[in-house]
Amino acid sequence: MTTTYTVFQEQLPDLFRKWSQEYALYVPASAGGGFFDLKPWREGLEVAWEYDVAYNPPKRFLLPPRETLVRYDLRKYTAEPVFEAPKQILFGLHPYDLKAVNQLDQLMEGGSPDQNYLRRREATVIMALDPLTVSPTAFWSSIGGDHVNHGFDLYWTKIGPASFLVAVGSPRGEELLRAAGELLPATAADREAARRAKLRAHALARSNSLKYNWEETPRVLGRSWDSPVWRKYAVMCLACGSCNLVCPTCYCFDIREEADDRLEQGERFRQWDGCMLESFALVAGNHNFRPKALDRYRHRYFRKGKYIYDKIGELGCVGCGRCVRACTAGIANPLTVFNELWEESGNEY
Amino acid sequence: MTAKPKIAFFDFAGCEGDQLQVANLEERLLDILGHVEVVNFREVATRSGQDYDIAFVEGSVTRPADEERLRQIRAQAKVLVALGACACIGGVNCLKNFMSENVYREEVYGPSARWYPTAPARPLKAVVKVDAEVPGCPVDAAEFARVVKEVLLGKAPWLPDWPVCVECKLAGNICRFEMGRMCLGIITRAGCGACCVTEGAHCWGCRGLVPGANLDSARIVLDRTGQDRKAVQDLLRFYLGDTAATL
Repeated sequence: MTTTYTVFQEQLPDLFRKWSQEYALYVPASAGGGFFDLKPWREGLEVAWEYDVAYNPPKRFLLPPRETLVRYDLRKYTAEPVFEAPKQILFGLHPYDLKAVNQLDQLMEGGSPDQNYLRRREATVIMALDPLTVSPTAFWSSIGGDHVNHGFDLYWTKIGPASFLVAVGSPRGEELLRAAGELLPATAADREAARRAKLRAHALARSNSLKYNWEETPRVLGRSWDSPVWRKYAVMCLACGSCNLVCPTCYCFDIREEADDRLEQGERFRQWDGCMLESFALVAGNHNFRPKALDRYRHRYFRKGKYIYDKIGELGCVGCGRCVRACTAGIANPLTVFNELWEESGNEY
Repeated sequence: MTAKPKIAFFDFAGCEGDQLQVANLEERLLDILGHVEVVNFREVATRSGQDYDIAFVEGSVTRPADEERLRQIRAQAKVLVALGACACIGGVNCLKNFMSENVYREEVYGPSARWYPTAPARPLKAVVKVDAEVPGCPVDAAEFARVVKEVLLGKAPWLPDWPVCVECKLAGNICRFEMGRMCLGIITRAGCGACCVTEGAHCWGCRGLVPGANLDSARIVLDRTGQDRKAVQDLLRFYLGDTAATL
């Protein structure tokens, strides 16, 4: 059985203070205007326990928007790999974001392992937190984004006005918790309170749900290549890539180089890319494999609902609802698209 | 090694703000200028010559006489680089294209207006072939440096071909539309690092339209903010007067 402790809110400032001496500590906090994000912790920063969703996806801590991979010297014809892996704690990740990180872990490790990612991940402590509120565009509950039982170092559940049940996921997590001093093993009543708190959170998210079992999505898509749904939405697509870039599981990047001003040294870096951008599938000879918005729009949903599933057995969408919000044209909505495709294909399983 | 390429800066209708941005590179400028010989750069040097390989041209074409001068520069230069919004897309000068000629001539030249012939404002590419562009109002100094290095290294000068939205996401900005505001980032070519949004404003479109900009969708998206048509029109005309974006 998982080791669980009861921790009180009054212990947190001291824990945060101690952790931040060794780690860059990020906690959910207000980003103004009713938005929330993971922010660097500082003394006195109010933790937004009731945050609905972090505005930016957690991937930015593991796969930064821009990351140097190689430094080269044009005079000596030499190149050195660059690995940066700051020690960091991501505190308060909701389960759907934890699921997204677990997915990235699998995808970045498979095939040719991504050393830059894996080293950052190794240096990153993840402390999950059960949500108390749900973003209006989220639908994680119906696609398996509510129960995540691995990938965290500690998992926090608020069980009272000022108390938490903390489940231990790794020795590193337990060690960090010990900085609070003597630990109080959770009672059976506390574990029951946590179970009920989780159920409440999951019930909150059910107002937006898939109309079918999420595991059918690859088969629904398999029947939908020529669906009119793609054109209906793609005609509005601005090809801005926002849905890709805010997606916690999208990990595509482009690699470029820039020399310094003396043209003596330079660096090769990667930067987030997205399959909705018009030039994403452009190759040498000026051929574009997906020249039309429809091709790109359909590709994204196949990627989320089928291609990733074929690789790892789960959807490439965790239901966070960030893309729904980020799409200024109002067309990026996996829930709507999958439900429409399912209805259109005759509701068959 | 071959001789250093000779470069020259020229300006047409504009504020010379782009050359000022280049001058603002300061120490970096010295490193970059180590690879070239400057024969004409009014912002930083008094010397001027007419023997050059690469011409950086700022400003838009707004008078009949500009066309002839620009053609001469083109004839002399091996590479012509348009610098800034006015040169690349016509820029704010194109606001006059929506006004009566009598009105703006009178406004600018007063009683002697009749002695100054004028024409609609246009970007350089409306008159001559342009080899590379550094867009923006003003240009982004880092992008200018990068494009110059690419030209010097013999690479094809590269500009992002996606909208500013991408750079807002890289920066982690809260989307202006989610705040109920208008923003032209959805149709504007990135490369500025979404600087205006990052600083709290919205995108004005100074870098011109992104290739393949979906203007039909953009008009609907702007309209959905609830702003009246005049406000949308004003925003679209501010920099994009010479493009198909204007209402």
